Amino acid sequence: MFTLLYGFWKHVFKKDDYFILILGLDNAGKTTFLEQTKTKFNPDYHMMNPTKITSTVGLNIGKIDIGGVRMNFWDLGGQEELQALWDKYYAECHGVVYVIDSSEPERLQESWRAFDKILDSETLNGIPLLIVCNKQDIEDCLSVADIKTVFHESVEKIGHRDCTVMSVSALDGTNVQKSISWLLQCIRRNALNRPATQD
Amino acid sequence: MGGMMSYFRGLFGNREMRILILGLDGAGKTTILYRLQVGEIVTTIPTIGFNVEQVTYKNLKFQVWDLGGQTSIRPYWRCYYSNTDAIIYVVDSADKDRIGISKQELVSMLEEEELKNAVLVVLANKQDIPGCLSVADVHRALGLEALRTRTFQIFKASALKGEGLDEAMEWLSNTLQQKK
Repeated sequence: MFTLLYGFWKHVFKKDDYFILILGLDNAGKTTFLEQTKTKFNPDYHMMNPTKITSTVGLNIGKIDIGGVRMNFWDLGGQEELQALWDKYYAECHGVVYVIDSSEPERLQESWRAFDKILDSETLNGIPLLIVCNKQDIEDCLSVADIKTVFHESVEKIGHRDCTVMSVSALDGTNVQKSISWLLQCIRRNALNRPATQD
Repeated sequence: MGGMMSYFRGLFGNREMRILILGLDGAGKTTILYRLQVGEIVTTIPTIGFNVEQVTYKNLKFQVWDLGGQTSIRPYWRCYYSNTDAIIYVVDSADKDRIGISKQELVSMLEEEELKNAVLVVLANKQDIPGCLSVADVHRALGLEALRTRTFQIFKASALKGEGLDEAMEWLSNTLQQKK
């Protein structure tokens, strides 16, 4: 009887958990994007002063409750030697956010190569992909169209999965909410393929 | 009245943060503690028991516990776990032979319920020694990619030269303030 009631209670109150990986080169703005996401979706969260955010060598986590589910974020370090650790998280993630620094044209190719390598993983087949063209608040930065041209090379590897490119400023928060809402919608659509984590 | 005082103290962010410095013997825990506190190198002997000091960093007060790291006294670490805000785990990056033991100790420590919410800083210490493990090597050797629910950050450090400690404390104070 207890088991039945407990099961019912869990069914009613337990939130589905989704896990999202935030990837991209170092200094792309992944941690700032995460901080901004936490700020936008948690009313009583005060954003960390962006100038105090240092280069991540490790893991930052974030949780937001949205639309009856919980989204958990894993923000990993982007330095070259740390990129080898990204795939350790692929099997458990429901969505990938790939952050690009639009203000650094010299590193666009490098960023694309890292992105293309992520797509080689079969574990991520069908997993929704949000491409964030960050730092759009900076003057003379690459436009979304410029970035799309380069990233278009990967179109075959992207295949049928949901994928979109967003113009974002993690610093001032432009389009952060829109990006997350898009991602959640796709993750839900993909839930048959990769169901929410229940613990 | 006391409750009110502590409320106001909390309001101004002056609550003392409790930090444990852990790691194998000879990793450099005591040297780090006194680097943080007095900014100098002190001559240390292997710690049997613990050293505790108050460290102030940018208006934040930390109560820092440095526990002895020898095999026989590691089981006593757990007596100090409750109410810990952060763990500074010190690794001797030049001691490749014992990095596996260091991993085991870290893993079993992180399983403790009392440390569930503690933030983790790994200091890859002794980076001044040539041929030592890089930050990515330490990350892999400690199996940190298995962590899923804990915020952590690795810093390369040389307690001897005073490198990396400021960065670690800066990160720690920002992260702990965010968690409040």
